[in-house]
Amino acid sequence: MKKKIRVLIAKPGLDGHDRGALIISQALRDYGMEVIYTGLRQTPEQIVASAVQEDVDAIGLSCLSGAHNELFPEIVKGLKAQGAGDIIVIGGGVIPWEDIPFLEEQGIKKIFTPGTPSIETAKYIEKVVCQRDGISLENPVDLIEKVDHIGIAVQSLDESLPFYLDILQLKLVGIEEVASESVKVAFIDAGNVKLELLEPISQSSPIHSFLEKRGSGIHHVALGVGNIQERIDEIKKKGIRMIHNAPKPGAGGASIAFMHPKSTNGVLYELCEKPSKERL
Amino acid sequence: MEHENDFEQLFKEWQETTRKLMDRFPERKETFQTTSNIEIERLYLPEQLDSTYMEKLGLPGQFPYTRGIQPTMYRARHWTMRQYAGFGSAEETNKRFRYLLDQGQTGLSVAFDLPTQIGYDSDHSMSKGEVGKVGVAIDSLEDMEALLKGIPLDKVSTSMTINAPAAVLLAMYIVVAEKQGVSPDKISGTIQNDILKEYIARGTYIFPPKPSMRLITDIFAYCTENVPRWNTISISGYHIREAGATAAQELAFTIANGKAYVEAALETGLDIDQFAPRLAFFFNAHNVFFEEIAKFRAARRMWAKIMKETYHAKNPKSWQLRFHTQTGGSTLTAQQPDNNIVRVTVQALSAILGGTQSLHTNSRDEALALPTEESARIALRTQQILANESGVADTVDPLAGSYFVETLTDELEKEAHRYLDKIKELGGAVSAVEQGYMQREIHHTAYETQKAIEKGDQIVVGMNAYQLDDEPKPELHRLDPELSANQVRKLGKVRSKRDQQRASAQLESLRRAAQASENLMPHIVECVRTYCTIGEICGVLREEFGEYTGI
Repeated sequence: MKKKIRVLIAKPGLDGHDRGALIISQALRDYGMEVIYTGLRQTPEQIVASAVQEDVDAIGLSCLSGAHNELFPEIVKGLKAQGAGDIIVIGGGVIPWEDIPFLEEQGIKKIFTPGTPSIETAKYIEKVVCQRDGISLENPVDLIEKVDHIGIAVQSLDESLPFYLDILQLKLVGIEEVASESVKVAFIDAGNVKLELLEPISQSSPIHSFLEKRGSGIHHVALGVGNIQERIDEIKKKGIRMIHNAPKPGAGGASIAFMHPKSTNGVLYELCEKPSKERL
Repeated sequence: MEHENDFEQLFKEWQETTRKLMDRFPERKETFQTTSNIEIERLYLPEQLDSTYMEKLGLPGQFPYTRGIQPTMYRARHWTMRQYAGFGSAEETNKRFRYLLDQGQTGLSVAFDLPTQIGYDSDHSMSKGEVGKVGVAIDSLEDMEALLKGIPLDKVSTSMTINAPAAVLLAMYIVVAEKQGVSPDKISGTIQNDILKEYIARGTYIFPPKPSMRLITDIFAYCTENVPRWNTISISGYHIREAGATAAQELAFTIANGKAYVEAALETGLDIDQFAPRLAFFFNAHNVFFEEIAKFRAARRMWAKIMKETYHAKNPKSWQLRFHTQTGGSTLTAQQPDNNIVRVTVQALSAILGGTQSLHTNSRDEALALPTEESARIALRTQQILANESGVADTVDPLAGSYFVETLTDELEKEAHRYLDKIKELGGAVSAVEQGYMQREIHHTAYETQKAIEKGDQIVVGMNAYQLDDEPKPELHRLDPELSANQVRKLGKVRSKRDQQRASAQLESLRRAAQASENLMPHIVECVRTYCTIGEICGVLREEFGEYTGI
């Protein structure tokens, strides 16, 4: 895939604050996209016309004056009227969080709030444009972000913790019970990755059967992902069996799903999406 | 002059004039003390006054004003706490103004909505979604009358953030005052009226640079004669900094613009000492504490020297750089907005230690929306705490003589002069703006800053470090959704009520004046008086002058 993505950065409304628009234009260019910046004070009609004429894949709208609720939806409507409804529209600026659901309902694909790194915006545009065009990305966006933690089955937290805390001098992040798995979990901060000690709290716990069969030891490796349901679907498409076809609640408020070790060379892998952090 | 005794003599004279001044403007207290009963003196000096000290720093209230423009500074009176406000309709804003005046505030600061700032009526298609959003909507004299109703314009000074159509808003203010029985020579206030920084950074321009400069010098000339207590321009580094400039760029580009206005006025035949005392400045108080303090001090010294040595101003009031400061809006984060209170405090302190004449402190939620009433109150309280509790206002220019601050002051001055030389090479500020020089310099800095933040080389607390997983969602300010429709209705009524023939005739006489080289102000005053709208007045000028469309 070597699609050059074309983006129109536009400033609807009357505000003259284009620091953000200029920065995002340059950041998208540096990322390898073709960017057209409209300049200030564009009416929705002008923006639609430029987008159609320049045949762009996406439009990034920047507005700091508070006129977004009136102007952004006009642009989506105008694109549809021109038969260009497939152009992806995203927005940013000073946009109160409570307006975001309304704007998304009106067909703005995503609103980026202040402080979003420009690389995230670039990757997002790349991802949605490729999805729209049915192109798979050479470098999949965020398929696996990192190893989130390593799960270790233990008979008893009380007996195991001193090794980690006193001898290895690692830091305990927290202990909690995960009812769905019937386990008590201790998270330990090991620098770039967490260790998750798992103690069964009932005989129905999968950890209980693991300990019965194999004794204490490494239980699973958890891979951090964004948008877990999409990842599950992608992985399944590639012929991997999942134990869970839909995410379920895990420790720390995360959504998790296990892959079947039969299709992963004997390693139990968990996909794990952390809550609340803004995901693309 | 090289003798120590001469400097001692100068200091004695300074003490004498200061004592006389204090008879008229006494200090806030008989004596100032620390908690340990150490007496705080008005002014601290090196043990020995020498020529280097006197040339670089001098005495407060004297050339080159590095240490401040008044001899007693905040010991006599705190800086003016001037919070920028304006929202929705003229009636609503009027209520807020009267409340603020009841609370003892003596100055007003008006924020206008964007259609007003760009010279469109509220019913213009470009105004869609913008009416009353970032400030008050003013279409005709009737709105201005409502805005200023019951406010004694001979007693209150009013600052108006208005640039391209500054002449129109000033004309409206003059006419409202007349209707109150207050003659133009009794009113006081400030219009921002700084078009060059609009091209560079803020974006609310209308006309191309040349006719814009003409409007500005027309205002200078008109006010010199008719509205002598009005500050005719507020030369603004604030927005240049917000767009991403460094402290040195802010300083240099502001002074470059200031020079351009002075030169334009001199070219029309005005005398420097007629208009220069009414020039005011407006700076940003950003994060890097000591550099900001140094910037304010360097600005005073540079301007004084330029006015005296380059333009040969004779009146000391022409040498004095008086400035308003606002804390840096773009330093605020949407994440953990309460942290912004702390940022604002540090920034405000730098403005005070830099000797500002007035100060606006930003509200914590400005990266999210327009401020709520509670946020606006905390912002004002921040200033009041600094003024009344911290003791920083008890001696003049307390950081003078700090090796660090004095070095930074010298270095910023040098760096700014390098930019000034470059701008001179390009043919002055107007020409540099037309070539996009300042715009490019600022954008370059802004992009570098963004990259540094994204790489984590520059820490922004709560944003790229020390984040919270669950950001609470604060209460935000909401505007009346009916506002725009109401404003449009009101405007329609004004148009149907007025004497249409007179209004059209005034607009035609404005057109003829624009085609010739007459001063436009008297014509604009007459247009306003017959209830011509801002859109009609700017419309005529748009037809005659053309519109600026960016680079």
